Amino acid sequence: MTRSAWYWRAASLFVAAGFIALWQMIANQRLVSPVFLPGPDRAWAALVHGFASGDLWGKLIGTLEHMAYGWFVASIAGIALGATIGSSRTMRSYVAPSLEFLRPLPVSAIIPVAIAMLGLTQSMALFVIAFGAIWPMLLATIHGFAAVEPRLYEVARSLHMSRLAVILKIALPSASPDILSGMRLSLTVALILSVVCEILAGLDGLGHWVLLSARSFRSADLFAGVILLGAIGYVTALAMSIAEQRLLKWRSSGH
Amino acid sequence: MSLTAIANQGTKVSDPARPQIAFSNVTLDLGGKIILENISLDVNPGEFLCIVGASGCGKTTALRLAAGLYQPTSGAVTFDGKPMLAPRRDIAIVFQDYGKALLPWRTAAGNVSLALEASGVASSSRSARINELLKKVGLPNHAGKYPAEMSGGMQQRLQIARCLAQEPKALLMDEPFGALDAMTRQGLQDEVLSLARASNATVVFVTHDLEEAIYLGDRVIGLLPHPGRIGIELKIDLPRRRDQLTTRENPQFLALRRQLFDFIKASEP
Amino acid sequence: MIPERAKAFVLPVATLVVLELWARATHLQSDSLAPPSAIAVALAEAFQDGSILVATRDTLVSAFAGLLVGGAVGLTLGMALGIFRIFDRLMEVTIEAIRPIPSIALLPIALIALGFGYRMEIVIVAFASVWPLLILSRAAVGAIEPRLLEVSRALRLSPLDRVRKIVIPAALPRIFLAFRLAAGIALIVAVTVEIAINPIGLGAAIMTAQQALRPDLMLAYLVWIGIVGYGLNAGLVVAQRHLFGRAALAGDVA
Repeated sequence: MTRSAWYWRAASLFVAAGFIALWQMIANQRLVSPVFLPGPDRAWAALVHGFASGDLWGKLIGTLEHMAYGWFVASIAGIALGATIGSSRTMRSYVAPSLEFLRPLPVSAIIPVAIAMLGLTQSMALFVIAFGAIWPMLLATIHGFAAVEPRLYEVARSLHMSRLAVILKIALPSASPDILSGMRLSLTVALILSVVCEILAGLDGLGHWVLLSARSFRSADLFAGVILLGAIGYVTALAMSIAEQRLLKWRSSGH
Repeated sequence: MSLTAIANQGTKVSDPARPQIAFSNVTLDLGGKIILENISLDVNPGEFLCIVGASGCGKTTALRLAAGLYQPTSGAVTFDGKPMLAPRRDIAIVFQDYGKALLPWRTAAGNVSLALEASGVASSSRSARINELLKKVGLPNHAGKYPAEMSGGMQQRLQIARCLAQEPKALLMDEPFGALDAMTRQGLQDEVLSLARASNATVVFVTHDLEEAIYLGDRVIGLLPHPGRIGIELKIDLPRRRDQLTTRENPQFLALRRQLFDFIKASEP
Repeated sequence: MIPERAKAFVLPVATLVVLELWARATHLQSDSLAPPSAIAVALAEAFQDGSILVATRDTLVSAFAGLLVGGAVGLTLGMALGIFRIFDRLMEVTIEAIRPIPSIALLPIALIALGFGYRMEIVIVAFASVWPLLILSRAAVGAIEPRLLEVSRALRLSPLDRVRKIVIPAALPRIFLAFRLAAGIALIVAVTVEIAINPIGLGAAIMTAQQALRPDLMLAYLVWIGIVGYGLNAGLVVAQRHLFGRAALAGDVA
């Protein structure tokens, strides 16, 4: 990072710290009831205490596990299905319009159906998370495979490349920017659905922690949980950015 | 060993009397429109044939037929006597839009490697071959660069390197230098000439640049548009050692240029 | 050869027919599935007794109110960030820290502060709506042809005039697109809040139907939610085309 970029970053950090100080002031002055708004000091204390006692740690792992499972299943299924549909024009013309129709559908609406089928269980949650996380992956992969430069297919024909070689060496790398952005979205969806399912089914996770804290008016614990959820969102987004940068460095190079 | 005995063994001996690429009464009808009508032409092994014509005369289409990317509606396109039903690994196609014909996510070496991988060359021998090919096209130090980091001329050379990796018997080039500036174009013309000479490959070169066609070719064919038909065929009797300055000032060159120019002018609607 | 447009319907129609036949053949008795015919009947009944309309109204009211509040905040902030680069750089860390918080995580906070009902849902939808508008309006301002801003300076327009006469009109098509995307998000968040905990709207209705072991009604609500979502987006696309013409849709995300 350049010198001036570093300075701006530091200044920006300073501003953020300022907001936290403001928050502390509001809490100290009890401008908002401490039942609803704990000061950053109490939230931090609750965070530390939660980890020290192992409770928060367990909840964090719980949410991460739900997310990871759903996201994994969704990625594999989404890419495989998306590659199949996206690389065939015939399949696309039959399937794509239905997918377009389903795109704006709130995926959380599948939850009651899942509950009806599987009850308020872990399997219900995993089903919902996987189902929800598949959509962005599927749509992005289809788009990526459909948008492969046709000229490259002609080069492949000229070289007598096998079908597998075409998929692995041409279609997949060409679609990778789309697939990666689909993965990003999938992660976000997986996080949200994990929290919702944990709230609904009382599963072990941050969603449940946050709900319980709310019900018992333990605002500091509540905020600690919310901060952790934000942290998960932040870290996963960061991880995806780094992965994108590594895998897609051919995009940024050059004029 | 006698010639007959070799032929009986099944070794490929190209019969000098038989053309390598042959179009026999080829007509192509796409969506109701006749693009090419009754085209018959022969390209001999090792020959450098240029095809010119006004826009829309179907010269690119003719090249794609020779490549096996299209099938004729009637008539036949053959290579070494066998019908071209699909692209062949030993016929390399150099596209005009080089940017779209290269893999942006692979380095220059990776792009050349693609052809070697497809031909089943063992990975241990690949890098030597890649370096040799890159050197041949004048890109010796660019193995690790991505296409986006290279100029237009360099990208086109990279595509040529990849095509050469196919060890082609024939090189089909579709207005390969059309998108480049004059200086780069001239340099690449000479490079293509020397590469063709060195590899003995047959070249079919489509261009809209009449001087380029005469400069490069052993023979120039001009197509008439709507529908595409052969209108003129010129044998280029210029000394084989072509030079950008002296050849282009040669009175024979200028006479041929005049002929072609008049032909194109007359053929435009 | 099936005409291109008809192909879009082949899969859905075929699926419905197969489901219907399968349900009848197996004499389906289930808590979670129902034949398409039963779903259609349940949908019609819900319309007849008005329950679906009330639920739709509740959801849409929350979604739109949240969208307006959050959208306004996001728009103002986004434009400010786009116009004043210093502000943009100073706020970087703060925005980066708050943005990743999933809006649903605020649900319990809103719940204890505001209880069940419209307000809590509107607050959460508003939070979710801030981000698309903030990011896209910031980008929209950043993408304004610099020549236009030079012109405004040459004409010595006051900052307010500059915003009114140049910045806003130039950024408007993209801002409308941002609202369209945010509207989709607003609907999704509203329904999700209702499913998770809030006893109003379409989300609550579908949960109630499930708990009452009425799969036909539950799936009818599911279908209806899909229709509402699709209709909302389609309507906004039409509005966008009408207001800004086809040119503005270039580079659209549908």
